[in-house]
Amino acid sequence: MSEVAVAGARRWRGGPDTGTWLPAARTDARRALQLALAGGWLLDGVLQFQPFMYTRAFPHMLASAAAGNPSVVAGPVTWNANLVQHHLALLNTVFATIQLLLGLGIALRPTVRPALAASIAWSVAVWWFGEGFGGVLNGGADPVNGAPGAVIIYALLAALLWPADRSGGPAPFTAARAVGAHTARALWLVFWLSQAYFALSPANRAPQALYGMITGRESGEPGWLASLMRGAAALVAGRGLAASIVLAAALVLIAAGVYLPTAAAKPVLVLAIMVAAAIWVFGQAFGGILASGATDPNSGALLVVLALAYWPASGALPAAAAPSGPPAPSAPSGLSGEADGSVAR
Amino acid sequence: MTPAWVLGSVAALMLVVAAVSAARLAAGRPWRRGALIADTDVAHLLMAIAMAGMLAPDLRTLTDAPWEVIFGLLAAWFAARVARDARAHGRRTLAGGHCAPHLVHSCSMLYMFLAMTATAGAGGMGDIAGPAAMPGGPAAGEMALRYPTLALAFAFTLVGYSIWDLDQLSGRRYSVPGARLSLAGMAAQEVSVLAAGPGSAAPRNEPSAASAPDAGLPGPAAGRAVTRRASGRVAGAGAFLLAPAVTIGCRIVMGVAMAFMLFIAI
Repeated sequence: MSEVAVAGARRWRGGPDTGTWLPAARTDARRALQLALAGGWLLDGVLQFQPFMYTRAFPHMLASAAAGNPSVVAGPVTWNANLVQHHLALLNTVFATIQLLLGLGIALRPTVRPALAASIAWSVAVWWFGEGFGGVLNGGADPVNGAPGAVIIYALLAALLWPADRSGGPAPFTAARAVGAHTARALWLVFWLSQAYFALSPANRAPQALYGMITGRESGEPGWLASLMRGAAALVAGRGLAASIVLAAALVLIAAGVYLPTAAAKPVLVLAIMVAAAIWVFGQAFGGILASGATDPNSGALLVVLALAYWPASGALPAAAAPSGPPAPSAPSGLSGEADGSVAR
Repeated sequence: MTPAWVLGSVAALMLVVAAVSAARLAAGRPWRRGALIADTDVAHLLMAIAMAGMLAPDLRTLTDAPWEVIFGLLAAWFAARVARDARAHGRRTLAGGHCAPHLVHSCSMLYMFLAMTATAGAGGMGDIAGPAAMPGGPAAGEMALRYPTLALAFAFTLVGYSIWDLDQLSGRRYSVPGARLSLAGMAAQEVSVLAAGPGSAAPRNEPSAASAPDAGLPGPAAGRAVTRRASGRVAGAGAFLLAPAVTIGCRIVMGVAMAFMLFIAI
């Protein structure tokens, strides 16, 4: 250990805080994905504190989600927007704090279950009251634009990463541990097929639809990102139908990927990650964070996490046969049971 | 505009972190021979004071230039430590080592001071108290950051480290150890406070000054007796203060607060 003088006192020694140099507590694949989810919520919470969110633009943005929706959806959206408009500073701070706490709660092992459950409830509420079901019912949903809404992907991930293990043998991938392989695959199929369906909707296959969507997001972005987006927009200019068909084909292939043998499933999951990354960079501009005014990092990064949850396990993931108890205080790795405190059911 | 009371609350949180870090440094009894000053506590103390000043101009203590020098030195210090760790323990410590988060914190602070610009209308990050109180601060203006891509990269990294630290903290990587304490004038004794995990045997500071009896003071037996009899409460609070978990807790708060500041200034 090196020793240096600090603050000019000759007999003092400055040095590292060696008490914190301890081995890491165990973190398995599911716990790692839970932490990614926690990071997403934490980012959401911090973004919600941005100055833009404390302006009238925020309730106006909420109110715009009502357009074109059935009254049963639009009514609560409009009510929520009015409420936020009248109590903007208070409610926005409450929203931000809730999201911050969800992130912190998922990251803390003892509170992961209540935090995940609360995140599902919060996600559904925001999806309805804040996003009008992400444009699913009014024809405005676009996978490049984050349809069916980033917030509902949070809920899906929370369900798939729930810290429990279903009985019936080793899970083939992380997402299958809590809900079972059949249910997990069905959720994946429905999700990606719906994305393909949205990609082919009339509004999204118009000749300039994708071009307009990308160029519309370019404003306010840093030069390097705006340049990338301009290049992508030029590629699809006037080719909206062809771009939609190619995207939909890729999304259908991805949807079917989890039913393929492992050797074929992995390349398809890589494709899913690449498509998600491309959407996040070129279509979503990282959620518009760099241009200010983003409420969240949008769906691209979440889709990557979703794809990783379906990555075939190299070894057999834990079955539910042996319940794991609470962490043992003296366990060398920090936890004696599952890294995320899961229990069998 | 982010309300002043929100920014003020975060500034108050920073003052708490500064107070905790200062208390930890004081608990290291730097007036004794061989006292060891933990670099992380020094870093947290300086960062917390600087951040409080950025959030609330009334709390500003120094102009920008000294802070830039301070955080430049801290960044260099932690960079050297990360490099040394990497040589000793492999490249994984470049990102996952103990000093890597502190390096990111120091670099983030340096970046904020170098890239912060005043745009219009107010002082500090949130127009809290009008024009900046100190020379060298933004005379007028809502704060904004040049090179926002760097801000985003720092914010993502800070959030990542904070989440990881929270997971490890709750995974009992950083337990409350048997801290070494003493009452004034008495030799220090080990006080076990909580059941500890793998780090239970690790004291906060390697050759803690508090653990070394001074010449002329009562011996260990006397110290032990007095410590036990006199203040279980004081010992418990002191041991908690000196626990590694408290350092990590401060690091988490700092990381989240820094990400907050970066995002509201992008």
